[in-house]
Amino acid sequence: MQDVWINGTAMAQTGRHYGLNADEMAARVLEEALKDAGYPEIEALFVASATAEQADKQQMLGAYIASRLGLDKIATYRVENADGSGGAALMAAAMAVRSGLYNCVGVVGVDKPNDVLSNQQQDIYSTATDAVYERYFGVTPAAQAAIMAKIYLAKYEYKYEDLALWPVLMHKNGASNPYAYMRKQAKVEDVLESELVSDPLRLYDVGPMADGAAAVVLCNKKGAAKLLGMWTSTSAIPFNNRPDYDVLYSAREAAERAYRMAGITPRDVATAEVHDSYSIFGVLAAEALGLAPRGGLLAALKSGADLKVNLSGGLKSRGNVMGATGVYQAVEVVWQLMGKSPFKRVDGSIGVVHSMGGVDKVSTVMVLGL
Amino acid sequence: MEHESVPLYWRNIPAYYRLVAKRCKKCGEVYYPPVVKCTKCGSAELEDYQLPHEGELVEFTVLRSVPTDFLKQKPLVIGLVKLGPVKVLGQIVDAMPEKLKPGQRMEVVFRRVVVDGKYGLVMYGYKFRPRP
Amino acid sequence: MKVGIVSWGAYIPKYRIRTEDIAATWGDDPQRIIDIYLVYEKSVEGYDEDAVTIATEAARRALRRGNVDPKKIGAVYSGTESKPYAVKPISSILIDALGLPNNVFAVDMEFACKAASDGIVAITGLVESGRIEYGLAVGTDTSQGEPGEHLDYSASSGGVAYVIGKDGVAAEFEAIYTYNSDTPDFWRREGSPYPMHGEGFTGEPAYFRHVVGAAKGVMEKYGYKVSDFAYAIFHQPNGRFPMRAATILGFPPEKVKPGIVVTHIGNTYNASALMGLARVLEQAKPGDKILLVTFGSGAGSNAFVLNVTDAVLERQKADVPKVDEMLADKIYVDYATYLKNRKMIKLFE
Repeated sequence: MQDVWINGTAMAQTGRHYGLNADEMAARVLEEALKDAGYPEIEALFVASATAEQADKQQMLGAYIASRLGLDKIATYRVENADGSGGAALMAAAMAVRSGLYNCVGVVGVDKPNDVLSNQQQDIYSTATDAVYERYFGVTPAAQAAIMAKIYLAKYEYKYEDLALWPVLMHKNGASNPYAYMRKQAKVEDVLESELVSDPLRLYDVGPMADGAAAVVLCNKKGAAKLLGMWTSTSAIPFNNRPDYDVLYSAREAAERAYRMAGITPRDVATAEVHDSYSIFGVLAAEALGLAPRGGLLAALKSGADLKVNLSGGLKSRGNVMGATGVYQAVEVVWQLMGKSPFKRVDGSIGVVHSMGGVDKVSTVMVLGL
Repeated sequence: MEHESVPLYWRNIPAYYRLVAKRCKKCGEVYYPPVVKCTKCGSAELEDYQLPHEGELVEFTVLRSVPTDFLKQKPLVIGLVKLGPVKVLGQIVDAMPEKLKPGQRMEVVFRRVVVDGKYGLVMYGYKFRPRP
Repeated sequence: MKVGIVSWGAYIPKYRIRTEDIAATWGDDPQRIIDIYLVYEKSVEGYDEDAVTIATEAARRALRRGNVDPKKIGAVYSGTESKPYAVKPISSILIDALGLPNNVFAVDMEFACKAASDGIVAITGLVESGRIEYGLAVGTDTSQGEPGEHLDYSASSGGVAYVIGKDGVAAEFEAIYTYNSDTPDFWRREGSPYPMHGEGFTGEPAYFRHVVGAAKGVMEKYGYKVSDFAYAIFHQPNGRFPMRAATILGFPPEKVKPGIVVTHIGNTYNASALMGLARVLEQAKPGDKILLVTFGSGAGSNAFVLNVTDAVLERQKADVPKVDEMLADKIYVDYATYLKNRKMIKLFE
């Protein structure tokens, strides 16, 4: 078994990249990551994308990204797990290096949801729900997140104002991240006055869809950060028959297994980037990672705890870059551990990435260390 | 104009029209959506099981940001309804959301779900509404 | 044992529009409109309802009221003039929506507002011949009227379903009679969104000639007199016509009024007289005789003499919404919502 190191990292500012094709945008960022890694010879490229077919009419995106950089003869794979594609591609790439098959591989996440209209974004996002039993009836991830938020808030006797602390924290974190989409501070009142999207969730509870691309280079030789543990877990329970709606089963299992592999406990985590496509998922993911007891994260926020979670601003402020999200998160955590601008060095050497596809369908948790 | 898949709709008609679920012949566990083998006892012997058409509201939300097929039906009320041994997620209609309460009696109704453009298929399915 | 109605189910969409709100949009005097038609408000389907969904709800209720096994239904005939598809039957959708067997005769019927009652006639024949055990006759419409035209005040939405059989009959058919001719009082051409009608011509030569002709025909041929009947129910395009038909035939108002629903839901076309019948069956006593006369433009009437049996009491107790309950259970909509629900606003499709 080979050790897996992150040798190169790069990401693009998220937003509305109307002037770039998806393959072009991905190729530019991959080139930066390869440069950062000192141009190692990569033998394979793993591409994470959730929307390539639907927004950009492109399958086999890896082959076209390779064309843009002249990466002839390498293996290319496109990995799709909806908005959890990034974590899945990282996992696949890491397994390939760990197994000894490849010495060095590239991972690039790219999505351009702003190439389609807002209602078409909902069409795309709702394909992450069950096509027959959910999507057909107009169900979207937002509606499912809203139902979970309602149940969570009621169960732990929180008010909506308590949940609003999450987007406030995200905007505070994202305000100083030049790569983020929404770079302004927000007050609780801004959140409370924002429009309802799916009650109780308001506009500020929803990560805005953003175009983005991020890349890492994974090799079996020492690099900036080491992959200490990783696990992917699927929750096979249909949304309609979940025993509990106040927990992310996939995240809980993936975190437990990844922590065990890395030999760490939640107390070792100096920074975490979690998949808060909706604020409630940020809360539940942070709890699943053990950063707060079940039902206790909002209480921690209320008491002013200094949570090192989503220092990037998360999906709320950095933007929901769909399938690219997991790769962004990995880059962000590495930079936070290194103290690379725009991030200040965090107090510790262990960082965690939580990448999730759909509403608690598949989660990947990666533990990274300096 | 969109072109919805006719086979995709057609093969799901028993579920869409009548809420036909699956029940394990061996242990009696009921599955909706159906499974290929019983996840409780492992048996692959499953039979059709008709879910009741009345139940109880578990929780709901009023969804204002909707996919293209539902743009003219904003907002959608999306609810979880307990129907016998399972819960089912779907639209709630004929209701004023401010009057909906978890625990209230609901009934299954048969409605248009998606209309495929001006000339395509009219696709039907179950929705829920408060029991009058 | 005589063939008859084993069970019935009705469905009225929850939405209503008031006559005054329609009149306010089109510059009519609402009081004059109400005086002419005696329609105070009418039912409006939800945006996601059509003649198929309405038929399904009514039929499910009919099966539930009589506790009829859907697998025993041998024919399903739908009478409508507002099919969502020009080609593709409502009745075949009903097979899967209701869980009927595949060995079921299924067809949609069209004779303006009369077709559903022709379904009853046809099914009665199939049951009498022994070819089927039970049949389901459905009347369903989301009938059209050009906005601002007088039909806009009455054309409405609703459905009824009747299970016809020999076993467990709640109202026997003692006699059936029909009266048809080519009388062009009302029509809708292929591809036309709204019907045209002959205003006053829809009265004497059309509605009254056929309704009265069928009613007199059935009474004369089978030997009934007005006093034999506890109730008389007539097709009700508005509130005036059935009362006048009753007067012509000599029925006192109290025998006619229980079967009139048009005043508060409008004309549900194929469900019109049959909705009145559902309301009457929900209050009738064993031994009551009912005269039912349907009418369809073009034009024709079917007249039925029904004899209510003891089984009606059990059907009345069933946990199925009654017509009166549905009349009271309503949400008023404004004219814009009405146009939206009726799919009359031009949208990108």
